[in-house]
Amino acid sequence: MSSRAEFLTRIRGQLAKTPALFTAAPSLRPARPREVADTIRRELAERWQESLTRFQREFERVGGVLHHVADVQDVPAVVGRLARERGASSVVAWHPSALGFDPTPGLAAEQLTVHGMPDVLPDAERRRALRETIATTPLGLTGVDAALAETGTMILRSGPGRPRSTSLLPATHVAVFDRHALVESLAQVGVLLEAWHTEEAPGAVINFITGPSRTADIELTLTRGVHGPKEVHAIFVERPIGE
Amino acid sequence: MSEPELATPFRARAGEALHDGFLQQALTIATTKFIDLRREAFGEFPEGEALRDRARAIKEATLQRLDHYLEQLVDNVERLGGTVHFATTPEDARRIILDIAERTGARMAVKSKSMATEEIHLNDALEAAGVTPVETDLGEYIIQLAHERPSHIIAPAIHKTKGQVADLFSRELGRPDVPADPEVLTAIARAELREKFLQADMGITGANFAVADTGTVVLVTNEGNGRMVTTLPRVHVAVMGVEKVVPSMTDLAVFLAILAKSATGQKLSVYTTLVRGPRKPTELEGPDEFHLVLLDNGRIDQIGGTLREALSCLRCGACLNVCPVYRSIGGHAYGYTYPGPIGILLTAMLNGPGSVKDLAHASSLCGACADACPVRIDIPRMLIELRKEVDEKRIAPWTERMVFRAFAWLLGRPALFRLTAPIARLMQRPFARGGRITRLPLFFGEWTRTRDLPPVAARTFSERWDDLAREGRR
Repeated sequence: MSSRAEFLTRIRGQLAKTPALFTAAPSLRPARPREVADTIRRELAERWQESLTRFQREFERVGGVLHHVADVQDVPAVVGRLARERGASSVVAWHPSALGFDPTPGLAAEQLTVHGMPDVLPDAERRRALRETIATTPLGLTGVDAALAETGTMILRSGPGRPRSTSLLPATHVAVFDRHALVESLAQVGVLLEAWHTEEAPGAVINFITGPSRTADIELTLTRGVHGPKEVHAIFVERPIGE
Repeated sequence: MSEPELATPFRARAGEALHDGFLQQALTIATTKFIDLRREAFGEFPEGEALRDRARAIKEATLQRLDHYLEQLVDNVERLGGTVHFATTPEDARRIILDIAERTGARMAVKSKSMATEEIHLNDALEAAGVTPVETDLGEYIIQLAHERPSHIIAPAIHKTKGQVADLFSRELGRPDVPADPEVLTAIARAELREKFLQADMGITGANFAVADTGTVVLVTNEGNGRMVTTLPRVHVAVMGVEKVVPSMTDLAVFLAILAKSATGQKLSVYTTLVRGPRKPTELEGPDEFHLVLLDNGRIDQIGGTLREALSCLRCGACLNVCPVYRSIGGHAYGYTYPGPIGILLTAMLNGPGSVKDLAHASSLCGACADACPVRIDIPRMLIELRKEVDEKRIAPWTERMVFRAFAWLLGRPALFRLTAPIARLMQRPFARGGRITRLPLFFGEWTRTRDLPPVAARTFSERWDDLAREGRR
């Protein structure tokens, strides 16, 4: 078995042997990623309609469905309708602090049982029970940390109150966002990722989700929902959440 | 560990593939579709060409300071509470993973698709140690049930029909009357594997990238199995070649912009998962333990070797789809973990030049692979270098070496070479039929066994060139 020192010694030996194939440098990184990210967000918020149109086109291309509502108060009605159409009576939801609003009363009014996720760590037994709940609930409701227009991608960070599997185990994933989440390009996502890593992260995972789970492994026939959700819905809230 | 296909020589394996009607059809359909999707994706993405150059520059820049970036990665993963292991050989890697399994009492391991774990033949070792490995990528699941090996880097089961998959599911899963419908077959796999995800103690993945600056391991999947295996089991083990490290998140964004477009023609794959160490203490889900196994297996020696460029490979499979040889014989005929043009180079890297004495010639050197490669790896150049090495190290058969040596000697003597045309014209007479030479005697027959030769022309180029001079027309 090898050690770190052995590995590095051998690599350095090889590097000493060979000149570079050509002069090359890694990407230039933003010196103050937080500031650049804030500027990008501010600029984009002003032309959010363009970004949203592009997001919608790409999101629908990959099999997503976009719903447009005026206010967060309208979100439970959309979720209620989706649930009824699918014969579902319960939903798992991120904690209100992670969503930016509390959907529980509205969803209850839609006759839905809401399994809210805690924002503090419960004991081991409760953790097992919550996992079972997420695995058996047909709908998962989450927020979105960035919505990438270029590819129709929703980016979600894990952390307290925002369990990873809310967007993975339920057959239908519903995600809510507003104009402040929209970004245009992968290069801008690069800046966001740099910015997010300047501080202690709330969770260990960042997920990019581009439509429903898919496979083409049998005779290249496109099939949805092989492991993750069969359906992905995005609810765009026109009046910024929390304003 | 043995390479089962190698009991028969390459030529026999290729011949078998060429006579497999279904395989021929499946290969044509799949590779053509991948080529079209890729072309379309880059067609809509004008900045793609510049990004390919950028991506290649990042790979080369990373290699030039690989020690630095690896150290940074290792420090960050450890700081996040993960454990890093160093494996020089496949045996090392297997031992490390089996030790983790034993220590954590793992009985079942769910795996997302990983060429690195194929390369170290991990499944056999896990099984022998009493740990059940479950491949969860649908294609990999199918070939695991069938006890076969992947035939394409990104579409491992393209050689199987839906009828064959239905029969396989009926037989192996004890479900009678499974219809040959991809939708139903996928639903069955979903149900079977969902149970395994929830039961498994250990999740094993590869890594498409690892970001040095943040200690992040990046997994790209379409099915979501990469997310399952890094979310549900209590232990996550990621196995990656040392060359997969990239410096920063800014660099990662460049690779993400070209990887899926090259592989499947998608703008992005459905799931890109960035994993930083084990579950954070306040998080509800995620593994309690995170292990990163850094794999050498011949890679480090190539930093200063002839195959250095191949260390930039992203494993997208684009060069397979465009290769006239791969399109004709498919992945299994190559006989090793990595098929296709890049596969030949990687096989030489992992198993030494002796392993590719035939495979080095399984290329028309047409250059389609270099054109398709998202990071513009000059595969044909390295194939030629391999052929040279195979010759110089006397790995090639003596007849082949003798023929080429004689040919080289002749080419270096123009006066003598000119004499060969009339001699060849005389000697080919009994063999030329209808403007082709279809059969040659002695060991030359090996060449004409599978291809025709055009006969030497009635007047060769140099003869006509001299004619022109005589006629005063040049």
